[in-house]
Amino acid sequence: MTPDIFNREFQSIAGQLRSYLLRITASVHDAEDMVHDTYLRAVDKLGTFRGESSLKTWLFTIASNLAKDNLRAQKRWVENVTDIAKAAAHSNPAFFEEAMQIASTSPQAQFEVKEHIAFCFTCISKSLPLEQQLCVFLKEVYEFKVSEITTILDTTEAMVKYYLHTGRSKMIQVFDGRCALINKEGVCHQCSELNGVFNPKQNTQQELVKIDLVKEAETGNKERLFDLRLQILKELDPFDSKAAHLQLHHLEHNRQVMEKYIIETPV
Amino acid sequence: MSKTLIAGSCKATTQRSLFSRTTSVSIDIDADPSVIWALLTNTSDYPRWNTTVVSIDGKIALGEKINLRSTLDPKRTYKLKIKEWEPNKKLVWGDAMGQRVFTLSNGQPGNVTFTMTEKIGGPLFPLFAKMIPPFNASFEQFATSLKQEAETIMSAR
Repeated sequence: MTPDIFNREFQSIAGQLRSYLLRITASVHDAEDMVHDTYLRAVDKLGTFRGESSLKTWLFTIASNLAKDNLRAQKRWVENVTDIAKAAAHSNPAFFEEAMQIASTSPQAQFEVKEHIAFCFTCISKSLPLEQQLCVFLKEVYEFKVSEITTILDTTEAMVKYYLHTGRSKMIQVFDGRCALINKEGVCHQCSELNGVFNPKQNTQQELVKIDLVKEAETGNKERLFDLRLQILKELDPFDSKAAHLQLHHLEHNRQVMEKYIIETPV
Repeated sequence: MSKTLIAGSCKATTQRSLFSRTTSVSIDIDADPSVIWALLTNTSDYPRWNTTVVSIDGKIALGEKINLRSTLDPKRTYKLKIKEWEPNKKLVWGDAMGQRVFTLSNGQPGNVTFTMTEKIGGPLFPLFAKMIPPFNASFEQFATSLKQEAETIMSAR
């Protein structure tokens, strides 16, 4: 592959790489650094690329290795991350001041419940063991086949299936217990609450029922509801969406809160 | 993924003597041994797939200690030590009263025999033997849950 062709191909995949790395790390800074490092490593090793896998698989392999190196030593987040981050936000007036400032000045700060659903998925996914989190995103959002994920993560097909199944099952369990969009007893109403804050003139209930995940909630089909949640992620680029600036600001807040929390909280 | 236990898919047996009691169950599982091993050694995930376990805290690795609560006696926490740990083949945990041995034999994908045996006993065993509930039903449930979960995982595309 010539450098020109590679550069063109890389540009077409870079957006997916960037969103994947953001969702894995929850850090804009780390994700952008890793996209850059993925490019440099790929250029350096371009002579070894024999086309045995697609270029996309090869680049995701490099990016996943960088992410694993970066995250391996870090503790995982907790399932109730949104509760902890919410409490921290309420005790930090600067957070809402910054958010309102972004909301009033940025063209990418039109709060949407759907975007918050995707944001919430990213946060909760960080409570999974790393391999489970990587597999769930690679298969369910970036649509790699199991056989391609074995290459990306350098593991067996059986273990990819194990990570996928356990990761999916765990997240379904967490959302089923917490998310008020699908469970009337759910403890987390954060997307509705924030919609009230950022879109005070909207009728939040009317907005919610436009979302397939909410429309189908009463079916109680947990697998289907999880797939609908994933569909929202597939359709959104967290760097280039209507509420990107608002959600990235919120994500950075949650990351800082979680990093402090997991250091201060004994296992 | 619904869970329907397959009744009669395995049968536990118990042998008794004056100073000990041994319960054992075996089941064939159509799965890669690494998947069965991962299920057996991931403590936090047990309650999701295994209906006999209330909780297990701790890490399953050689020399480590775990706290197990079982549906047989949910109020009691068993403090157990991992005594043997041979990936994809054998796991042993126990305390002073007894030990549970898990083995995976044949070891070929799609052709694994899972066996779980627990022996409890000692000089004082006759004094408390009647207070220990029978294990057979729980062992059958454990083995069937494991088979179902491992085979569900392997059937994914």
